[in-house]
Amino acid sequence: MTDHGQIRESLVLGNPSIRDVTARIASIVESKITIKYLLTLGFTATLAGWGLFALYYTITTGIGVWGLNNPLGWGWDITNFVFWIGIGHAGTLISAILFLFRQKWRTAINRSAEAMTIFAVVCALTMVLSHTGRPWLFYWLLPFPNQMQMWINFRSPLAWDVFAVNTYFTVSALFWFVGLIPDLATMRNYVKSEIAKKVFGVLSLGWTGSTRHWHHYEIAYMLLAGISTPLVLSVHSVVSFDFTVGILPGWHTTIFPPYFVAGAIFSGFAMVMTLLVIVREILDLKQFITLKHLDNMNKIMLATGMMVGYAYILEFFIAWYSGSDWEKWIFLNRMFGDYAWAYWAMFTCNVVSPQVFWFASNRRNIPLMFIISIFINIGMWFERFTIIATTLHHDFLPASWGYYSPTWVEVSIFIGTFGIFLTLFLLFAKFVPVIAIAEVKSIMPGAQPAHHHHDHEHDHVAVGSGTVTEKVH
Amino acid sequence: MSDRSVTPTDAKPWQSIEQLAGTLPPAGEFAAGITEAPHFSSNVSRRGFMALLSASMALTAAACRRPIQKLVPTVKSLQVATPGLPMDYTSVWTNGNVAYGALVRTREGRPIKVRGNDQHSVNRGKASAAMQASLLSLYDPDRIRRTRVNSGQASLENAVVKIADAVSEASAAGKKAVVLTDVHASPSWAALMTEITAAAPAVTFVTVPAVVEDASAMATRALLGVDGELVPDLSKAAVIVSIEADFLGTDPLALYHTGRFAQRRRPGFSDAPMSALHVAESQYTLTGANADARHILHPAQFEQVLAIIEKTIGGSNVGSDIAPSATGSVVSIGEKLASALRSAPAGQAVVLVGRHCSPRAHAIALAVNNTLGAMGTGSILDPAHVLPNSGVKQPAIDALVDDMASGRVHVVIAANVNPEYSGSREFKSALAKVPVRVALNLYEDETAGICSISVPTAHWLETWGDAVAFDGTLSVRQPMIAPLNEGIPGVEDTLIAVTKKLNAAFLGETADYYTYVKNRWTALLGASGNAEAAWTKALQDGVVPQSPTPNTVVLNVASASALPTSGLTQGKVVVALPALSVGSGADANNGWLQELADPVTKITWDNVALMSPATAVALGLAPSKEAKDVVKANESVVTLTTAGGSIDVPVWVQVGMADDVIATQLGYGRTKAGSVGTAVGSNAYALAERGGVTSYRTLSGVRPTGKKHRVATTQSHHTLDDGNGERSSIARTVSTADLASGRLPDLNPHYIDQGEDKNGNYKVPLSITPDYKYKGHKWGMVIDMSSCTGCSSCVIACQSENNIPVVGKDQVLRGREMHWIRIDRYYRGDMDNPMTVVEPMLCQHCDNAPCENVCPVAATTHSPEGLNEMTYNRCVGTRYCLNNCPYKVRRFNFLNYHDGKEKSPLDLVFNPDVTTRMRGVMEKCTFCVQRINDAKYHAKDAGRARVLDGEVVTACQEACPAGAIIFGDTNDPNSAVSKARIHERRFQVLAELNVRPSVTYLAKVYNTDKKMLPESGGH
Repeated sequence: MTDHGQIRESLVLGNPSIRDVTARIASIVESKITIKYLLTLGFTATLAGWGLFALYYTITTGIGVWGLNNPLGWGWDITNFVFWIGIGHAGTLISAILFLFRQKWRTAINRSAEAMTIFAVVCALTMVLSHTGRPWLFYWLLPFPNQMQMWINFRSPLAWDVFAVNTYFTVSALFWFVGLIPDLATMRNYVKSEIAKKVFGVLSLGWTGSTRHWHHYEIAYMLLAGISTPLVLSVHSVVSFDFTVGILPGWHTTIFPPYFVAGAIFSGFAMVMTLLVIVREILDLKQFITLKHLDNMNKIMLATGMMVGYAYILEFFIAWYSGSDWEKWIFLNRMFGDYAWAYWAMFTCNVVSPQVFWFASNRRNIPLMFIISIFINIGMWFERFTIIATTLHHDFLPASWGYYSPTWVEVSIFIGTFGIFLTLFLLFAKFVPVIAIAEVKSIMPGAQPAHHHHDHEHDHVAVGSGTVTEKVH
Repeated sequence: MSDRSVTPTDAKPWQSIEQLAGTLPPAGEFAAGITEAPHFSSNVSRRGFMALLSASMALTAAACRRPIQKLVPTVKSLQVATPGLPMDYTSVWTNGNVAYGALVRTREGRPIKVRGNDQHSVNRGKASAAMQASLLSLYDPDRIRRTRVNSGQASLENAVVKIADAVSEASAAGKKAVVLTDVHASPSWAALMTEITAAAPAVTFVTVPAVVEDASAMATRALLGVDGELVPDLSKAAVIVSIEADFLGTDPLALYHTGRFAQRRRPGFSDAPMSALHVAESQYTLTGANADARHILHPAQFEQVLAIIEKTIGGSNVGSDIAPSATGSVVSIGEKLASALRSAPAGQAVVLVGRHCSPRAHAIALAVNNTLGAMGTGSILDPAHVLPNSGVKQPAIDALVDDMASGRVHVVIAANVNPEYSGSREFKSALAKVPVRVALNLYEDETAGICSISVPTAHWLETWGDAVAFDGTLSVRQPMIAPLNEGIPGVEDTLIAVTKKLNAAFLGETADYYTYVKNRWTALLGASGNAEAAWTKALQDGVVPQSPTPNTVVLNVASASALPTSGLTQGKVVVALPALSVGSGADANNGWLQELADPVTKITWDNVALMSPATAVALGLAPSKEAKDVVKANESVVTLTTAGGSIDVPVWVQVGMADDVIATQLGYGRTKAGSVGTAVGSNAYALAERGGVTSYRTLSGVRPTGKKHRVATTQSHHTLDDGNGERSSIARTVSTADLASGRLPDLNPHYIDQGEDKNGNYKVPLSITPDYKYKGHKWGMVIDMSSCTGCSSCVIACQSENNIPVVGKDQVLRGREMHWIRIDRYYRGDMDNPMTVVEPMLCQHCDNAPCENVCPVAATTHSPEGLNEMTYNRCVGTRYCLNNCPYKVRRFNFLNYHDGKEKSPLDLVFNPDVTTRMRGVMEKCTFCVQRINDAKYHAKDAGRARVLDGEVVTACQEACPAGAIIFGDTNDPNSAVSKARIHERRFQVLAELNVRPSVTYLAKVYNTDKKMLPESGGH
């Protein structure tokens, strides 16, 4: 049943030895920093710096430097926030849910997906902290005892957001770090530089690789995966409450939580795909990140893309079925109003473009999947923009209708968040093992110490399995 | 009784609390006169000697010392200045020659609010936008502070000597020294002008207002023998026919007319039956927007329609030569209007004609009014009710132009007028030939720019004066503060000083305007006993009712028939009327007015060329009349050319206008207005030839320039139609026919059709938790859309009361205007001639407020008295509340609009009872919570647990000339607001959202026989 040697495609190509795996992945950290790497890092850091400058300008001058106006209190700021939070979800899904479901193919990508989660949440936090009118008072959003004897308003979805996002960040960071410990120890043993040895030594928390360590590690990892799993569903559900708790047509809908979660996974996988296609090319990790991995991810994108497509269409049905004139109108306005271009951009990118993945050959076509993943990233950004802008720009009283376009400052901040994200990712790819060395080893043929266990339970399968294993050896 | 004295040492508003509290003790504590500062004329006592000793030092700096001038607060006000508490003084504000009673609130000696004086019979306690906004001009940092001679600073004395010398030169050369003045309503100023001319015969006065509109006076002079405009009383009219008369909008009498008109526009609140307004016009004016029936005419057809009305009604033949030229629709419109007029009870119908129409049009209307019985003592048109100083002016101006052009004028003194900006080309070139030009002005404006001597003058809130209303009511203008710029005199005092130099005997020892005014008044009032007491009472009350001089009227039809017509023919015409906000341009540097959206076009910060969709298409600016196409014409700059000159203005398509008519606004295009008003819009005075700047003129050319000019509007969507049906539940309208048909159906839309009990609670509760019970007060408001005309007084009242910032054109373009109350304007029906509904929109203080639960920091909460409160200090600015507000009445400080660096003395304009808000903070209407709290303190002082009905008056309610806003305690079943809330016309905007607004609207009523509601009622 769990046969992966023959019936299923191998998850590691080239049949490397255990030692080869360590050497291949650890050498990325150990190798010299190239000019090419520095130039790339310089470029992304410049983007980040430019975005931070735009943020500085915003904070010192006021939100007025953005394009927001009276009916549109939110624009690119919250769009970006939801976008980045959504991106993060793939990491949690891959590391937690796929772990619990024993999806072994996840091992090649879970490390970078988790890193991506953390970096995406950093970007999201940047957006959400800076979007307020008086960001220096951000701590007022936290419940803490104070001389004003003021609690936060626990009825506000924004307060829920604070908890959701902070929990998410904390758990994701812990999960990632715990998963890194065996690899950090590997690096400690592998690197030659004394300083690096010290740093990895401290970070690996005295890991020796003893059975006891492994035992504790496995339990901790399992627990964190268990804690993370509900977060995959809860965080984006809470984010969607920012809209659903509002009374505005187009926001006040019950479909948002599942629709947002599906969308988050969808966009997250697209972002992982975009990054991995580049990483496996540049760092030459084709051996570990195989077409099989990419194929699986494309299937998930197809499925989640269909889910969001279903949600888009269902929204129209519900608008009609609700009997609310406001609701009906807002959805017509989405399709044919001032922001119809954004709606159709979203629909095309998110619903139409993933349909190519019905065909196996397309799922293994790297240039195509790269393009589609970019489309999905764009489409999912537009999804959030459409929800925010179309609802706000034309609500109830026609006299207060408006229109919104961003200024250079908002665009710069958005680009800046990409800069932050990519800079962090590049640093990660250079200084931390991008692939979970220990976990990859665990899925290599013959690496499963649990085989005997299986034999015991399912005799007839185990025999076959054993035979195959022998053959491979 | 008397408390604050204005002396030159009070040059700054206040410098210390001690100085502030430096009040005279109440009478009786010391012997009479002992507390008064010594006068130079008094016998020198020991005290006087000491005073003289110190004064001699001051003399080196100050040329003269004015006597103590006592102000008298109103009887209801505090009588002794107390730090932290307001004092109210009466005064009078004049809009040209229209006097409106003012009540000015001062804090620590500085005026902070201009309101209406409820004792004054013309405005009855109400105030217009311009009247209230004049407060901001007082503190305008761009006002000039120093006297200028040529390009250098000079002392006032020096300038006065220079002016006097120039007048002497003129006199010696047998030439004239002409003082150019504005229209006015002041009997003392009129008398002073006569005395100055008597004392210095070379000095003459010519009235050169920015806008000269003689037609009405020409008609009354010819037909009735009265040189001046008659002022109708519309509260007596059952049927009003307006031919282009914008009496609710741009007319200087609009504040008065709005009040009188609205009196009969509130079915269910007044005993008099609702009046009907029929408008025939070529522009889309605010009056047209309030019409029950509106007809579109080309300006060439105005006289024809009037002639048809006259012919149909009979009784006179002033327009008999014009009637035959009327054809087709003009005849039928005329007949319709005539039959409307005849349907009114005798003497209750009136025809009004726009002040910019031809003399003949006015004459026909007067004759028709006479036939209808509308003229006579006590009728709609009382011949005694003549607007002061409204006689024919153009001949005198023409003579002046000739005199100036031919060198007969040696000196011109422009006294608070700006002919270099508003004059015709001919006037300006003649003015340039005058050797000595002097400007007495608030600003270094266009005219001051061509003058060798420029003397600053004081604001109306800084000077003494008086005014008479058309009904004879007299008022004294009390200064509220010593001139902010030290020692600056009013125009009158400067001219007195000049005359004094020419003729030392002029006005005797105390030659100043205060004494002059007071002497005249005490002479007038003294006839009935104690003059000083009568003077004090006049200052306290702000009014001395007097009957106007009765006029006997003899109709002279023959001379009326000889009056000129407009001479217009069909074809492209242009008209420029004073803007509803900035008027004729003197207020151009006033940010409050610049940012006040025109109630019809919703445009701020600009004048535009308004034209009908068909005209825009004909000019090739839009591909078709379709709404989506025609807006493409907007903002394209066109060059309008007339015989007078040409201007470049951006196009704005206005539905409901006559084709071939282009309307623009005066008051813009100032080149030297100050930091706010300079280079805003373009100067439409350039279109006028000699005289009659507001008349319709034939356009010799309209040429698109291909350029675009952004126009900042506060509303981008103009109808209730969202493209998929009409959102009629937002602004309900009914007709008198609906009202007559019995009880109206519930005008609220019901999504949850479960009914309400007799207390207005849902039978099946919508929430699982019980509703909050308001035990004490529960504040609520009712807005009667039927009487609201959209005049926008409330907007400025709120801005002044609540320290609302002016954000500027760029921010308005970005949709960030900060007004807490806005006037939503919707068009309905036929888009070629739409009906208009105006709906004041402000925070609805919802009991189930969607903004409150979404704020993460609990910065906006509900008070136990039903107020939706905004705690600025707590706000972090997530803007979630703004998003979730279905009315979009919340306003966010996107930038630091109040940066605390307001140029002095602009910072003095703020109401100290209301905090200013920093950037990043949300704000919105508070129902004037500071006034509610003030009323509660007073109630507590008086030993009452509750505030009485009528004790809390919100700023918008206080200003509303139409009485459309009612505020009070809805927990008190006998309060005015409680009674209005259960009126049959009630509805709540977006009631179906279950937000439970505290503001109830009353449906607008059109006086028409057509039913507007479906028989089955709402849905």
